[in-house]
Amino acid sequence: MNATRRALLVTARELFAERAQPDGLAAALTFTGMLVLLESLAFGPGRAREADVASGVFWIAVLFAAVLLSARSFDRDLEDDAIDAVIALPGGRDALYAGKVIALGAILLIVAAAAGLFSVFLLDLAIALPGHLLLVALAGVVALPPVIVITSVIALRVRARFAVVPILSFPMLVPQLVAATQGAASALTGDGPAALAWAGLLAAFTLVYAVLGLTIVPAAIE
Amino acid sequence: MLDDRAVLRNVSFEVGPGLTLLRGPNGAGKTTVLRAIAGLVPLSRGTRTVSGPPLFIGHRSMLLRGLSARANLTFFASFRGTTAIDVGEALRRWGLSELADRPVERLSAGQRRRAALARLDVEQQPVVLLDEPFADLDRAGTILVRDSIVTAIVRGQAVVLVTHGREELDRDATQRLMIDAGEVRSV
Repeated sequence: MNATRRALLVTARELFAERAQPDGLAAALTFTGMLVLLESLAFGPGRAREADVASGVFWIAVLFAAVLLSARSFDRDLEDDAIDAVIALPGGRDALYAGKVIALGAILLIVAAAAGLFSVFLLDLAIALPGHLLLVALAGVVALPPVIVITSVIALRVRARFAVVPILSFPMLVPQLVAATQGAASALTGDGPAALAWAGLLAAFTLVYAVLGLTIVPAAIE
Repeated sequence: MLDDRAVLRNVSFEVGPGLTLLRGPNGAGKTTVLRAIAGLVPLSRGTRTVSGPPLFIGHRSMLLRGLSARANLTFFASFRGTTAIDVGEALRRWGLSELADRPVERLSAGQRRRAALARLDVEQQPVVLLDEPFADLDRAGTILVRDSIVTAIVRGQAVVLVTHGREELDRDATQRLMIDAGEVRSV
């Protein structure tokens, strides 16, 4: 069995478990929805509709949701030592990393889609370039899991991992957060070339951290 | 090393086909030896050589909550590429036919243990590592474990079993090891 198929098996396992116990997804959806709602109240209807404010709050919400979802996923795996069963399998460490990254990306897409639609309707956002916005959103969502799963694995056996994962991952994710926010704001205001450039940067970050994760995570998992 | 503490020292032994029993007092390092062979514990010194990817079944079920026993076992079988083996038949043998599709967190401890041990039938690896497999099991479950061990020995598998008592296993064992204070000796 090749590495891709093994990773996809872990992805399927993650998605089935999340479907059976969707508490992580429910928490992420609630959190992102509340943040968008609070933004509209805190900034007021005029300021909240500004492209950079709306996209900044959206991406912060998605980032926190990603950490929530990852924490729930690893919690589930640590119960009854289920993670050890995968690590002990041949090729299990690589598959665990890649599978969790893909699964987290897939679930995060659902959260981002819901939060995005909620933002558009609640804030009555005008979208100048919908295609570009979708591209930036996709690139932004995909850019988060490789970093968050790396830090979750490093903090796996740390008692205070709920604090450690954000402390480690958020500084590493600042460039992605800036790129996603600027890219989304560019798409909202009609600056197509800028939106594409930011999406390209996000794709480059995804590639770098995915390769880095596949390189260091197998050695880092204990 | 665990938490910067040396758990095992000067451990050297070979395991071939057949049953190897590993005994010792609480905290002696029995589980750590198995986890080291399975590649779950980093070695600060020395080497481990395993002829093939081992099957490690720990003293907890190692099954993913949210999934059924059938889904868990199908995952392991697919991962190892042993899909020709009938997962349903393995679960039936372990008395879990009617519970096969129930999420594992809704099974009793003994039923979860049975589901975990059904991996013996599903994965059939040349090296099998069992950590206290009799825990939580009733008499019928205990007999099933013993039958599975005998079947594995007949198949030519190497079975390393950590246990406290179970002297009745001695007659099936090809090797008996005692671990104490992190050191292993043959008895």
